[in-house]
Amino acid sequence: MPLLDAHYQHWDGAHVGIWARRWVIARHGMGSALRNRAMRNLVVVCWMAGLAMAAVLFLIGQLLVADSIVIQWVGQLNPSLQVFARLLTSWLQDHPEISVRTTQNLLFYLYCVYSMPLSIFALGLAMPSLITRDLDSNAMVIYASKAVTRGDYLLGKYCSAFGLLTLTWLGPVCGAWLAGNLLSPDWRFFWHSRAALGHALLYGLSSMAILSGLALGVSAVSRREKSTPFIWWTWWVLGWVIQPIALHTKPWLRHLSFSYDLKQIGLASFRLGDDLKTARENIPMLGEMLRNIPPSTSYALDHPNWGGALVALVLMLVLAAWIISQRVSPE
Amino acid sequence: MTSDPVIATEGLTKTFGRQRALDNVTLAISAGAIGLLGPNGAGKSTFMKCLLQLLPVTSGSARLLGREVGREGREIRKRVGYAPEQNCHIPGMAGCEYVAYCAQLSGLPFQAARQRAHEMLDFVGVGQERYRKVDTYSTGIKQRIKLAQAIVHDPELVFLDEPTNGLDPKGQAQILELVRGLWRTYGITVVLSSHLLNDVERVCEQIVIIARGRVLVHDTLQNLKARKRGAAEVVLARGHGELQEACGRLNWLCQMLPNGHLRIEHRADSLNALLNVLHELKLAPLEIIPSPNALEETFVQALEMSHAAA
Repeated sequence: MPLLDAHYQHWDGAHVGIWARRWVIARHGMGSALRNRAMRNLVVVCWMAGLAMAAVLFLIGQLLVADSIVIQWVGQLNPSLQVFARLLTSWLQDHPEISVRTTQNLLFYLYCVYSMPLSIFALGLAMPSLITRDLDSNAMVIYASKAVTRGDYLLGKYCSAFGLLTLTWLGPVCGAWLAGNLLSPDWRFFWHSRAALGHALLYGLSSMAILSGLALGVSAVSRREKSTPFIWWTWWVLGWVIQPIALHTKPWLRHLSFSYDLKQIGLASFRLGDDLKTARENIPMLGEMLRNIPPSTSYALDHPNWGGALVALVLMLVLAAWIISQRVSPE
Repeated sequence: MTSDPVIATEGLTKTFGRQRALDNVTLAISAGAIGLLGPNGAGKSTFMKCLLQLLPVTSGSARLLGREVGREGREIRKRVGYAPEQNCHIPGMAGCEYVAYCAQLSGLPFQAARQRAHEMLDFVGVGQERYRKVDTYSTGIKQRIKLAQAIVHDPELVFLDEPTNGLDPKGQAQILELVRGLWRTYGITVVLSSHLLNDVERVCEQIVIIARGRVLVHDTLQNLKARKRGAAEVVLARGHGELQEACGRLNWLCQMLPNGHLRIEHRADSLNALLNVLHELKLAPLEIIPSPNALEETFVQALEMSHAAA
C-alpha cells in the first residue's frame, strides 16, 4: 500500500564509477563546510589577497615598460623618484628573468606563509564537517552499507579538506600568477615566472596534503562538534607559543608545531636565500638595502631545518592515521 | 526453495572477545521475504552486518547474490540495501538531499539519484517533511527515510533491521505493508530482522530463527505451520455456545479467547472435520485461522531446545 498512491519503479540505468562516488563525498564535505558563513568570508578574504597580489604583479610588469602610466604617475609624484624608476626599468629590462622570478617568488612565499593562519583557521571551521559529525550521527553505518569502502570515504573526506585549502591557499596564488602574467606587457612573463609558480605549487601541494591528513586525524578524535575545532586551534596556538620558548631551551620542541614545520618546508621550497643572494649581487640600490638583513635571518633563510620538519610532520601524519584507523569504522 | 540462494553462508562465525555472536552459521536462503527471528541479542543484527561487511567475520565464508563477501564488497552493496536499526543519518541534510546522496553513493548519476529520491520518498509516504533537515524528524519519519535510502538504488536484496521500532500501530501496519509489497509486487528480496513474531508472520514466507548465534530453524512459514497442525481459531458472529458444546462431545479442547475467537484443538491434519461440525451446526464462520500461533510455538520450542542444549 504505497502511502501516497505512488508505485515503486525499477531503475535500470548505468552506475557511475568509483571516482564519481568519491567525488560525491568530497563535494558534500566541501559543501557542508561552505555553508558556514565565516568560512565563506575567509575564502573571500583569501581571494581578495590574491587580487592584491595580481595587482602588485601588474604594477611590477608596468615597470618594465619605459613610458608606462606607472612611471608617469611616479614622475608626477616626485621627479627624482621617476629617475630612480627609469633606472630600475632599464635594469629590469636587461634582467627580466631575475626580476620576474624573484619578485613573484618572494610574493608567493609571503602569501603562502602569511596566509597559512587563515587556512589553518578555515580547517578548524571545517573540522565538524570532515569526520566529527559523521561519527556523532552514526553516518559511518550508512556509508559502509553503500557501494563505497572506508578507504573511499576517507579519500573523499581528504579531498574535501584539500579542496578547501585550495580555495583559501593555493587557489589565490595560482589565480594571481595567471592574472598578473596575463596583464603583464610580455608573454614571456609566463616563462620567466615558471620557477616561482613551481615553488608555490611544490610548497602548496605538499603543505595542503599534510594539513589535510592532520585535519582528518583531529576531526576523528571526538564525536563532539565543538571539541575537534577546539583541539585543532589549541594545537596550533600552543605550537606558536612554544616556538620562541623552545628556541632558547630545547630547539627540537619547535617541531611539535606543525605551522613551524610547514614554514621550514616553505623556506626550503622557495629557496629564498638564493633569490636574496641574486638580488643582492645584481639589483642596483635595492641590493645594498638587502645587505642589511640580520645574519640570523639570513642564516635561517639559507639553512631551513626542513629535514627535522619533515620527520616531525611524517610522525604527526602517522599518529593521525592511527587515530583514524581506530575511530572510523561502522561499529 | 529450489532457485539459487541469494544468501549462502558456510561456517560463518563472529566473536567479540570470548563471546560468540555467530557460531558456525551455515545457511542457504533463496529469494523471497525472509524473516530473521530471535530474541534480543540473538545475533540477528550481527549476521546482517557480517553479510554487509559492516563487521569483519572471524571465520567462515558468505556469498550474497552469488558474489563472495569480502572480495566484492562494493559490487555487492550496489545491489543490496540496508536499513539499520539504530538512528543513522548524515547530518545537516534535508530528507530528499539525504536520500539522493545515498543513491549517489550507490552509484546512481546525479539526475537519476534526485528523481529516484523523490519517487522513493513518495513511495514510503514522506510528504513535505522531505524538505526539512533529517535531524529534526520524528521516529516515524526516520524509519520511513531509512527504508527510502535502503531501496533508492533499486536493490535486489534489502536488509531491514527492526524497521517498525518506535512506530505506532498504524505506522507499523503501513511500513509492514510496504515491506510486504517489495517482494510480492516488485520482486525485491527482503530480509526482515525482528523480535516481533507478528511482524514477521505478516510479511515473510521463509523463517530463520536465530538464538545464541546459532540458526535453530530455517524453513518456510507454510512448513512451520504444517508442523503445528491440529488447531484452528474460528471467528463466529453467533453460536459460540453451540460450537463449544459440539467440541465437548468430540473431546476437542475448545477455548474462548479474549478477542472473542474460539481456539479449537481438533487434532487432525486437515480442517475437514471442523468444517463438517460447523456445517452440521449450520454456523457460517467469519474466518478460520489454521495453525494459529504456529510461529510463536515453534519459536518458543526452538528457544527452549537451545537453552536445554546450552
